[in-house]
Amino acid sequence: MPKLIIDHREIEVPPGTKVIAAAERLGIMIPRFCYHPGLGSFGACRMCAVKFLEGPVKGVEMSCMTEAQDGMVFSTTDPEAVEFRRYVIEWLMLNHPHDCPVCDEGGHCLLQEETISGGHGLRRYEGKKRTFHDQDLGVFIQHEMNRCIHCWRCRNFYQGFAGYRDYGAMQIGNRTYFGKYQEGPLESPFSGNLVDLCPTGVLTDKVARFKGRRWDFERGPSLCLHCSLGCNITSGARYREVLRQEGRFHEKVNGYFICDRGRFGFRYESHPQRPRRAKVDGREVSLPEAVQAAAARLGRISREAGPDAVACWGSSRSSLETQAELRRLSRGQGWRAPLFFNDASQDRKVRNAVSRLDVRLAVSLREIEEADFILAVGADPVNEAPMLALALRQAQRRGAQVAVLDPRPVFLPLEFQHLPVPPGSINRCLCILLKGALSSRAAQGLLEAGAAHFYDALKCSYDQDPGLQDRLLALGRSLQPSQRAVIVCGTEIVRDSTPDLAADFVLLLNTAGIRTGLFYLLPGSNAFGAALLSGTAEDAPPLHPLIEAMERGEVKALILVENDPFWHFPDKDRLKRALDRLELVVALDYLPSPVMARAQVVLPTTTLFEGQGSAFVNQEGRLQWAPRLHHGGAPLAQVGGGSHPPRVFLDYVPGSEPRPGGEILRDLGAALTPDPGAPAVDWWTWLAQENPGFSNASALPAPPGGLRLLPEAGKPPVLSLEEVNRNADRVPEGHLELFLVDRTFGTEELASYSPHIQKAEQAPRLLLSAQDAAQLGLAPGEQVTLRLPGGPLTIEIEAAVNMASGVMFLPRHRQLAWQKLGGWPMLIAYNAIEKG
Amino acid sequence: MNSNPELVLLRNQREDRPATLEEYRASGGYEALALAVREKAPRQICEMVKDSALRGRGGAAFPAGLKWLGVKEDAPHPRYVVCNTDEMEPGTFKDRILVDADPHQAIEGCILAGYAIQAQRGIIFIRPSYEQGAQLLERELEVARQAGFLGQNILGSGFSFDLTVHRSAGRYICGEATAQVNAIMGNRPHPMKGVHMAAQGLWGLPTLVNNVETLACVPHIVRNGPEWFRRLARTPTGGGTKLYAVSGKVNRPGVYELPIGTPLREIIEEHAGGMLSGGEFKACLPGGASTRYLPRQFYDLEMDYDTLKAVGHRLGTGAIIVYDNHTCFVGATLNLQEFFARESCGYCTPCREGLPYIRDLLWRLENGEGKEEYLPMLRQMAGHMAKSYCAFAPGAAEPVISLLTYFADEVREHISQKGCPFKGVDKPRPHLWYPPEE
Amino acid sequence: MLPEELHAQLQKKIAAAHRPRELAIDVMYAVQKHYGFLSDEGLLEAADLLGMTSLELEELATFYDFLYRQPVGRFVIHVCDGVVCWMFHEGSVFDYLCQKLGVCAGQTTADGLFTVLPTACAGFCDHAPAMLVNGVPYGPLTPESIDQILQKLRSESCDLVVCR
Ligand SMILES: Cc1cc2nc3c(=O)[nH]c(=O)nc-3n(C[C@H](O)[C@H](O)[C@H](O)COP(=O)(O)O)c2cc1C
Ligand code: SF4
Ligand code: FES
Repeated sequence: MPKLIIDHREIEVPPGTKVIAAAERLGIMIPRFCYHPGLGSFGACRMCAVKFLEGPVKGVEMSCMTEAQDGMVFSTTDPEAVEFRRYVIEWLMLNHPHDCPVCDEGGHCLLQEETISGGHGLRRYEGKKRTFHDQDLGVFIQHEMNRCIHCWRCRNFYQGFAGYRDYGAMQIGNRTYFGKYQEGPLESPFSGNLVDLCPTGVLTDKVARFKGRRWDFERGPSLCLHCSLGCNITSGARYREVLRQEGRFHEKVNGYFICDRGRFGFRYESHPQRPRRAKVDGREVSLPEAVQAAAARLGRISREAGPDAVACWGSSRSSLETQAELRRLSRGQGWRAPLFFNDASQDRKVRNAVSRLDVRLAVSLREIEEADFILAVGADPVNEAPMLALALRQAQRRGAQVAVLDPRPVFLPLEFQHLPVPPGSINRCLCILLKGALSSRAAQGLLEAGAAHFYDALKCSYDQDPGLQDRLLALGRSLQPSQRAVIVCGTEIVRDSTPDLAADFVLLLNTAGIRTGLFYLLPGSNAFGAALLSGTAEDAPPLHPLIEAMERGEVKALILVENDPFWHFPDKDRLKRALDRLELVVALDYLPSPVMARAQVVLPTTTLFEGQGSAFVNQEGRLQWAPRLHHGGAPLAQVGGGSHPPRVFLDYVPGSEPRPGGEILRDLGAALTPDPGAPAVDWWTWLAQENPGFSNASALPAPPGGLRLLPEAGKPPVLSLEEVNRNADRVPEGHLELFLVDRTFGTEELASYSPHIQKAEQAPRLLLSAQDAAQLGLAPGEQVTLRLPGGPLTIEIEAAVNMASGVMFLPRHRQLAWQKLGGWPMLIAYNAIEKG
Repeated sequence: MNSNPELVLLRNQREDRPATLEEYRASGGYEALALAVREKAPRQICEMVKDSALRGRGGAAFPAGLKWLGVKEDAPHPRYVVCNTDEMEPGTFKDRILVDADPHQAIEGCILAGYAIQAQRGIIFIRPSYEQGAQLLERELEVARQAGFLGQNILGSGFSFDLTVHRSAGRYICGEATAQVNAIMGNRPHPMKGVHMAAQGLWGLPTLVNNVETLACVPHIVRNGPEWFRRLARTPTGGGTKLYAVSGKVNRPGVYELPIGTPLREIIEEHAGGMLSGGEFKACLPGGASTRYLPRQFYDLEMDYDTLKAVGHRLGTGAIIVYDNHTCFVGATLNLQEFFARESCGYCTPCREGLPYIRDLLWRLENGEGKEEYLPMLRQMAGHMAKSYCAFAPGAAEPVISLLTYFADEVREHISQKGCPFKGVDKPRPHLWYPPEE
Repeated sequence: MLPEELHAQLQKKIAAAHRPRELAIDVMYAVQKHYGFLSDEGLLEAADLLGMTSLELEELATFYDFLYRQPVGRFVIHVCDGVVCWMFHEGSVFDYLCQKLGVCAGQTTADGLFTVLPTACAGFCDHAPAMLVNGVPYGPLTPESIDQILQKLRSESCDLVVCR
């Protein structure tokens, strides 16, 4: 480890550390513009000059471009370096408009800071400033090119790091212009990071524009709830509403960056229709009153019709506390065990996946970046878990091979191999791949491990497409030399057995000496927690029996906790009928969802920004903690009559009634059973009793990096040979199999309440292969009407070449009444697809 | 035009047209290639080039043999040779003359370089104003291909190598080796620092970039031996002849092939026909726009890399721009800074912002708005250009630094007289053709 | 739209190339030659041919100075403003040229014949002062020779070089 002396202080750093980073470890922030720890060194701005006095490098050099070496002695305060840096900042300010008063970057502007630290205070340049025209870059990013100091960070991120190709540098010299070919929305769903990266006010947050200076905000660490990855975020609230979010560094999860859905999807929190008052039978009451009313009614039903008449339906977006309290409540009252998913198959897949992850197999996003071979199975990263796409890109930039086994026309901002096979064939393809991977070196290891018979029995043919079979075998063979492979497995469109197969696959590869990690995508920010709380597959109630029980009148009361079944359940009419049969619906939520309007008892809950702090478990089993950001209440902008600060002072905060779901549920439990009798166990002990998965979590807040809730060793391979080798369930002649899928914008429940996310959505379209479209005589862009069980659905089609045939995809889009589907996946006959 | 027996590179030069393949062969052309592929191991060629003391003629004067040996024998394939015929530095035009005179000599040089590093492909990178040269090269490449010197299995040796012409669309920075590689790849031609071209150049593969004059020397070295080549020089550490491109206030501007180390006085007076009437030698830029003014006191200096280095100067490309005593050096330097500021690729700050600042100060000096405090500012800024990302800005600063070293009085005169003392003569008109500012 | 023949020809060339991007400049030159300048339409067609985005190609097109993203006259005169040519400005030949054509640098004559652009040293310092017309060099220039050249250009078309 090289040892060096920086400003008379010694430090030892890992080999490969850049001098600028070494200094940072000592707390010495060498001025910089182009260097960013997330992007690397570029040597463009020349701001980080230091003087090397002794050692292998001599003289003034850029600290971002110089690797720390043993024996280096350098000074950041040497007069030559200081003078040079003063000139650099003077040069950078030559053309800068000095418009800090009207610039949103003011107050957290690196350029302001370095201007001061560089010692440039007096303008000497007498020439004119060059100016530029700005572009409209869409709803998220404001462009003000005159402020540009040409650090190249934006282009380095946008093209280099993220791999998108519609924003860059044009012209030459000091006329260099950063923008698009023509103005218009940025194509990358990671564009918001430009706001964090731009060291001055060229690229600022349009959504938060002119909403406040950084010091005006209540800023704090938070978590992103818009997919299962659990990226870390810094949120900023002012006047009782969240206004602006930034990426927050997490070494293992998201690094420095986040996606636009996560950054800009927060507006559900300040939605004007957000439920803020408790209601009983449509009448506004205080929250304690409503809890009492709910307890009274629930108690009566439970007593009169038996505890089985009460059901609880939670969600995978609730915090762990809320989920756990729901389980505790139903257990304590002897009610039906709660459900957390909206689809039986999904429920199974998630629970299988969660039961398979263990400390040895699970990899983090960061470990994906370091992998040399990645196979994504049934996953569409940009749409399902955007930051995964960036991690894949980093892996690929470091030389990894990336392949995607997925029927959709998956787009990734990187070079990868796409194998479009229908979901029904994914298992079979995985087996062929595995056979290829284990063909030579592995066999020995397998023999020793006694798994050879399994390998021998793997079927290895794909009669539908021998060409594909060869590609799979070849891909499998290229896995052999891998040192750090990762299998990514989605849980949306795949068959129920696929997550298990993926885990078995990974176990076998490891047995054969190919180190392989496992990475699942799950539906919901706390799907992992929900799965742990659902218990084993046997003891959790499936969804459809619940609906049936409601229909039969066996269930008379339903507690809905932060769940909008009208969003998720694929048969709207049936759901309506089932709900109508209930005597009582108690709904807890912070979203103004349609069930809130139908519920007899409405109990408003807080979002993660206002609660006492909440925990979420991401898809790799990492429990993370989001503390309270602000104290809640209706935004001043909504109640203040447009002026701030308010002219009339109140002794309460309007709209501050909502409380964390978990707390409300606890109160409900207490109201139902005033004297619990047995002494209450401590919460964590109780959790660990419920599921040993929680046993290594002991207290909140969780440590800063989060806490992995994973067993030391997971399940052994579970799938039988028979199951693995079962032939692809083929789609019958004259039919297409229809699946529901996610889009980056428009299908995720929370973000869809944000008006600016709505503006970034693409209109929903029915996706089918060009081959099938031709067969049906449909032209791209044509309108079709699907005759669905729940009624006709008219939609434009998109015909893709790079996708499997025999399948169709419909986005779970806000603007689309896909809830006519009845269920999914489902078969649609050709004659149920009509033109027009 | 030239009948000088010592001519090596220009020995086939004619006034009316380029030398043909037959003429080139008659003078021994392609013998070196035949010799190399039949009798010499690739590494031997590299060693010969190293022993010949041939230094890069593109400006940086890096020993060519060392660069070639930098391509490791076990480096991956394909490998590339890039023949740098960009030549956009003001004052240089030797490569144009060289290619026009004897295209096959350049081609043979490229092939030999290809053989020496076992490359598969060569690219001749050429600027747009040399379109005639590009077309000539394309035609002659086909001729060479037909004759079996290029393409598959050259001269039956099993060695295959092909050459293509890559047209640039202008910009001085494209001459810089790493920027050129970016330009060829269809990227923005920014230079790349810390990229070891011998290992990771074009498409991340081993690449050799050499100036066309450097490459043109190679057939002669291989044919006549490194010793012969070294002895051509007039200085002990030099090697070969040099194409001195003389321009400016001389009677016969042009390219003169002379033993490296020929004294400046001799080049100007004997070969370039002396100063234009009415003028006296004031100074020259010895190697293109990115070198320092070489004033009268060095008139007898031998023009070689080491001799110039010893007095704090650089030979650069050997393009000698001659100024007489009627030339205003503030104006001349202003013109150069206009050029550099306009051509900066814009990647790093000192170059992108600092050069326009320097230009602005010089413009003010030249136009009567000068102040004494500009001098230290100019000196500091020009000095700091050395800390730029690539060699462009340090080169751009050279004339400014030497202006202040040798002609500070002339600069001060601009301040005290509130304008250019050379009124009427060589009146610098930096915005000559630009519409008046609104 | 590019004529089919040219389109096919470029397609073939690109298919044969090592990597398509390598041909970015060549394709832009060809498109420029067809349209008279590198029009928006042409740039998009070129990007399409090369498998590059419009931005990626614009990053290059606007970097170089022999690619014209705005309409130019039939003859593009690149006037050398290199230091050697500058030295021979006594006669102000370029002032003369501009006066003669009635335009400043960057402008095109009303008849659409001539566009005057300054250029970095054109590499004809031995013929200073020099200029390029559609890539063909002229020099040393005098007011008389300029008259002659303009005369000749007006009456006949110029032998063409690739960049135009
Ligand atoms: C700004 C700049 C422009 C350059 N232009 C040229 C050029 O036009 N032709 C050339 O051969 N070398 C040029 N060079 C030098 C090249 O970077 C490189 O050193 C050279 O081509 C290597 O060939 P050589 O070793 O044979 O000289 C330039 C360097 C810089 C920094
Ligand atoms: S736009 Fe911003 S981030 Fe991009 S180069 Fe300019 S100052 Fe840097
Ligand atoms: S931070 Fe080192 S050069 Fe920009």
